[in-house]
Amino acid sequence: ACDEGEIVIKFSHVTNTDKHPKGIAASLLEQRVNDEMNGKACMEVFPNSTLYNDNKVLEAMLQGDVQLAAPSLSKFEKFTKQFRIFDLPFMFKDVNAVDAFQASDAGQGLLDSMQRRGLQGLAYWHNGMKQMSANVPLESPSDANGLKFRVQSSDVLVAQMEAIGGSPQKMAFSEVYGALQQGVVDGQENTWSNIYGKKFFEVQDGVTETNHGIIDYLVVTNVDWLESLDADVRDQFLTILGEVTTTRNAESTAVNNAAKQSIIDAGGTIRSLNAEQRQEWVDTMRPVWDKFSKDVGQENIDAAQAINASM
Amino acid sequence: MEVILLFSMVIGLLLIGVPIAVSLGLSSILFLLFFSDATLASVAGTLFEAFEGHFTLLAIPFFILASSFMTTGGVARRIIRFSIACVGHLPGGLAIAGVFACMMFAALSGSSPATVVAIGSIVIAGMRQVGYTKEFAAGVICNAGTLGILIPPSIVMVVYAAAVEVSVGRMFLAGVIPGLLAGFMLMVTIYGMAKVKNLPKGDWKGWGEIAESGMEAGWGLFLIVIILGGIYGGIFTPTEAAAVAAVYAFLIASFIYKDMGPLADRGNGKGKLLRKPQALVTAFFHEDTKHTLFEAGKLTVTLLFVIANALILKHVLTEQQVPQHIAGAMLSAGFGPIMFLIVVNVILLIGGQFMEPSGLLVIVAPLVFPIAIQLGIDPIHLGIIMVVNMEIGMITPPVGLNLFVTSGVAGMPMMSVVRAALPFLAVLFVFLIMVTYIPWLSTFLPNTFMGPEIITH
Amino acid sequence: MQHQHSFVDRIEETLIAILIGLMTVVTFANVIARFGFNSNILWALELTVFMFGWLVLLGASYAVKKHSHLGVDAIINMVSPATARIMGIIAVGCCLLFSVFMVKGAYDYWAVFADLPPTSGRWFPTGFADKFRSQSFYEVQDVPMVGFLRFLEDLINYGDEYEKLPKVVPYLVLPVSMILLLYRFIQAAMQIVRGETDRLVASHEVEDEIEEVRAQQGEHD
Ligand code: NA
Ligand code: NA
Repeated sequence: ACDEGEIVIKFSHVTNTDKHPKGIAASLLEQRVNDEMNGKACMEVFPNSTLYNDNKVLEAMLQGDVQLAAPSLSKFEKFTKQFRIFDLPFMFKDVNAVDAFQASDAGQGLLDSMQRRGLQGLAYWHNGMKQMSANVPLESPSDANGLKFRVQSSDVLVAQMEAIGGSPQKMAFSEVYGALQQGVVDGQENTWSNIYGKKFFEVQDGVTETNHGIIDYLVVTNVDWLESLDADVRDQFLTILGEVTTTRNAESTAVNNAAKQSIIDAGGTIRSLNAEQRQEWVDTMRPVWDKFSKDVGQENIDAAQAINASM
Repeated sequence: MEVILLFSMVIGLLLIGVPIAVSLGLSSILFLLFFSDATLASVAGTLFEAFEGHFTLLAIPFFILASSFMTTGGVARRIIRFSIACVGHLPGGLAIAGVFACMMFAALSGSSPATVVAIGSIVIAGMRQVGYTKEFAAGVICNAGTLGILIPPSIVMVVYAAAVEVSVGRMFLAGVIPGLLAGFMLMVTIYGMAKVKNLPKGDWKGWGEIAESGMEAGWGLFLIVIILGGIYGGIFTPTEAAAVAAVYAFLIASFIYKDMGPLADRGNGKGKLLRKPQALVTAFFHEDTKHTLFEAGKLTVTLLFVIANALILKHVLTEQQVPQHIAGAMLSAGFGPIMFLIVVNVILLIGGQFMEPSGLLVIVAPLVFPIAIQLGIDPIHLGIIMVVNMEIGMITPPVGLNLFVTSGVAGMPMMSVVRAALPFLAVLFVFLIMVTYIPWLSTFLPNTFMGPEIITH
Repeated sequence: MQHQHSFVDRIEETLIAILIGLMTVVTFANVIARFGFNSNILWALELTVFMFGWLVLLGASYAVKKHSHLGVDAIINMVSPATARIMGIIAVGCCLLFSVFMVKGAYDYWAVFADLPPTSGRWFPTGFADKFRSQSFYEVQDVPMVGFLRFLEDLINYGDEYEKLPKVVPYLVLPVSMILLLYRFIQAAMQIVRGETDRLVASHEVEDEIEEVRAQQGEHD
C-alpha cells in the first residue's frame, strides 16, 4: 500500500503479471518505481482487467481515475486514426522494423499526437508479430476463404479478414477458446505468446507463421496528471519507464520464440511459408492499405516502407 | 478496517429495508467519497460498464425470456405429466415425479424460484389430493427447486463466469453431473422415506402414456438440446444459445402448444394455423407476447440492477486492493485448500441469508478467486461449490428465496416450510460436502469435452 | 390479473417489452447471418449490450414505482407498524441520497462526451466546472453512425465527421435514467410519509407470479 504523501500511480492492465510480456514489464516497472522512488511515488498495478478493461481504461484515465495504462495500439484509433498504421497487414517486415519505426520521428510524433485529447503516449511496449491459425491448414490465402475468424474490434482488422475471404466475428475473449474448439469460429490471429498462453494451438489445426501484423502496446498517461508532477519526480519516473521499456522490449523476441518452441514441444503444428507463398498473402492483403492510407497518412506509410527497405 | 465498515453499512441498510441494489451502491459511494479520491462520475461510469464490459451477462435476459415463454406456454404441466408417467408408480411416486419434473424444468430455466413456482404450483396441490401432507409436498419442491441454478442453464453460473472471466459453456457443462446427482439423491431419499412411512404410489399407466406425454413434453424439452447442443455442437456462443432458446420457446408456446398468442384457446378451442395463417405475423405483436416480454424484462431489470450495483462494490474493493489483502492474510495464516473451502462455504452460507444469490456472487467471487487459484483449486470447481452454497442459502432461514416462494405457492407460513424443508436440507448438506471434496464431479465433463481449464490469472 | 394501469405505465411497459424483444431479435439475426449465410452483423453485439444497459437503467425507475426492487423485508415484517414506518422513512431517505449522488455522477460522466461542462463539487453540485476537456470525439467500437444524428457533428464535434456512433448517444441513458430514478424515489418517499405503504422492496423475484398462482388456487378451492 502507498504511504501518506506519496504520489499514487495506478496502473491498470489486462494480462497476468508473470507470463505475458506486458504483465512482466508492468511488474518490473512497479518494482523499480516502488524501490527507487520510495517516499515520492508509489505504483499500484491492477492486472487481469480487475479494475478496467482495455476499452474502458482510457475513459477512466481521462476522468483521472487511473494514471497509467498500456492498451494495444488499435485502441488509440479513437483518438487519432494515424494509429491504424500498426494494424495494416504487412506494413512492417519484422519486430526490428516496428522498433525502428517507433523510434523514428514518425513514431515519436505519434506519442504526442493525442495531447489535444488529453493523452500523452510515453513508450511502446512490444508483444510481437501476429500469426494466423485455423482449424484447417492455412498455406495460401485462399485456404482462409469462407472461414470465420475472431477479430478484435477494428475496421482495419475487419477489412484484412474480408480481403482473404474470411468472415470476421466478434465475441468475448473468455469464449474464444471454446468457440475455436467447437467451431463457432474457425480461426484467429495472435502473437506466439498469446497463442501459447491461451492454448489456442490445442484447438486449431495449426499455426501459420505469417508475421502479417503486430500486437504492441502504448504506455499512456493523462496529460494534465503528467504536467502536475514536479519536474524531478516526472524525470525520474520517465527515466525508469524508459529503462524498463528498453530491457523488456529487448526480451520480447526471446519471449515469443520461447512460446513458439513451447507450442512445438506441446505437439502443436507450426507451418512456415516459403517466399512465394508469403508473397501470395502479401498480395491478397495489401489492397487494405488503400482503404486506410488517408487515415494513416501517406508520409507515415512511406517512413515505414523506407525502414523496411533499409533493413 | 474500513472494509468492515463498508460491509456493515451494506448489511445495516439491507435490514432496514433499503433495496439490495441501493444498499450496495450507496455504501460504495459513501466509502469512495470518504476514503478515496474517486469521483461520482467514476461510479456512474462503472454502472454503465456493468453492461458494456460484461458481454456474457447478456445471456441472462435471454434465458429469463425463454423460461417466461415456456412457463406461459404451459410446459410445466406437460413435463409433470411425463414425470408421473415415468416414475409415478413407485413408492412415493408423485413426490419423486415432482423432483424429476423440477430437474427437467431446471434444464429449461436459469432460476430456482421460477422452478418452484412453475412446478410447485401444480405438484404441491396434486400431492395433497392423493394423500401426502402439505409439509412433505412443500419440503420436496422447495429443495428440488434449487436445482434450477445447478442444472444448466443457470443465471448464477453466468454471473460467476462474468465475474471471474471463465467460460460460461464450461460452467454449464460442469453443472450437469452434480445436478443429476443431487436430483438422484433427493429421489432416493424420498423412495426410502416412502418405504418406511408407506407413502402413496400411483398407477402404472403403461408405455403408451410415457410415449404420448413424452412427445408432448418433448417440444419443450428440446430446448435443452438447443442450449447444450448448440453450445457444444459449435453453432452458438452461450449468449446466442440463450437468444435462440428464447425465440424457440416463443414459437413453441405460440404455434405448437398454443397456450398463448392468436391461436390460444379463448373459449372456442385452439385455433388451427391453417385457418388463421395471419397468426404467423400477428403472434409477434400479440398482447400475450408483449406481456411475456414485459414480465421477462421486468425480472431482468430487478436482477441486473442488483448485479450492476454489486459490480460497483466489486470495483471499490478492487481499487482498495482488498482481495490481495485477504489473500495475503489467508495464505500467511497457512490455510490449505480444505480449510479455505470451509471458509468459503461459511462466508457464502452467511451471505446467502441476506443477499440475492447473483449479487452475492459478484462480490464474493473476486474476493476468493485469487486465493483459490494460488491454492490450485480449479476455477470451475470453485464455481460449482459456490452455486451449491447458493442453493442451500435459498432454503435456510431467516432469508431464503425458495422458502418465501414455496410458502407463497403452498399457502403455508414460512416457519412450517422451514421445518418441512429440513430433512431434505440434510441431503443437500451431504451433497455440498461431496461436491466440495470430490472435484471430479464438477470437472470431469468440461475437461473431457473442452480440455483442462486454462488458468492465466 | 392486470392491475390498474395508467397511460405512463403502458408507455414504460411497452418500452421494456420492445427493448428486450429487440435485443433478442438482433442477437438471433446475427446467428442466422453467421450460420445461414456465413456472414455477420459486427455491430450486433455492441448494439445489444447498449440496449441491455438502457433496459436495466430505464427499468430501474419503473421497478421503484412498482415496489419490485429486491430487498430484505424480514425485519419490517417483525416490528410494529410505527417502527416499520420510521425504518421506511430512513430507507427511502437513503434511496434519495443515492439517487442524488447518481444524478450528479451520471451527468458529470455524460457531459464531457456531450461537450458540456461537468458540475463542480465533490459531494453535491456547486456549479459548473469552468475548465474541462471535451470528449465529444469519442466514438463507440462498432455501431456505425446513423444519418439522423449527423447534426451532432456540427453541434458538438466542431464539424468533424463521425464514422461510428459517438459515445454521447448510448451514455445519454445515464443522466436520463438517474433523473427518473430520483423522481420515482421522491414519489415513493411521499407514499411512505403519507403512510400509504411501509416498504420499498419485494422479498423475491417472483412475487407477481405467486400472486397469480394464489388467485387461481383461490378460484378453485
Ligand atoms: Na437451470
Ligand atoms: Na438463507
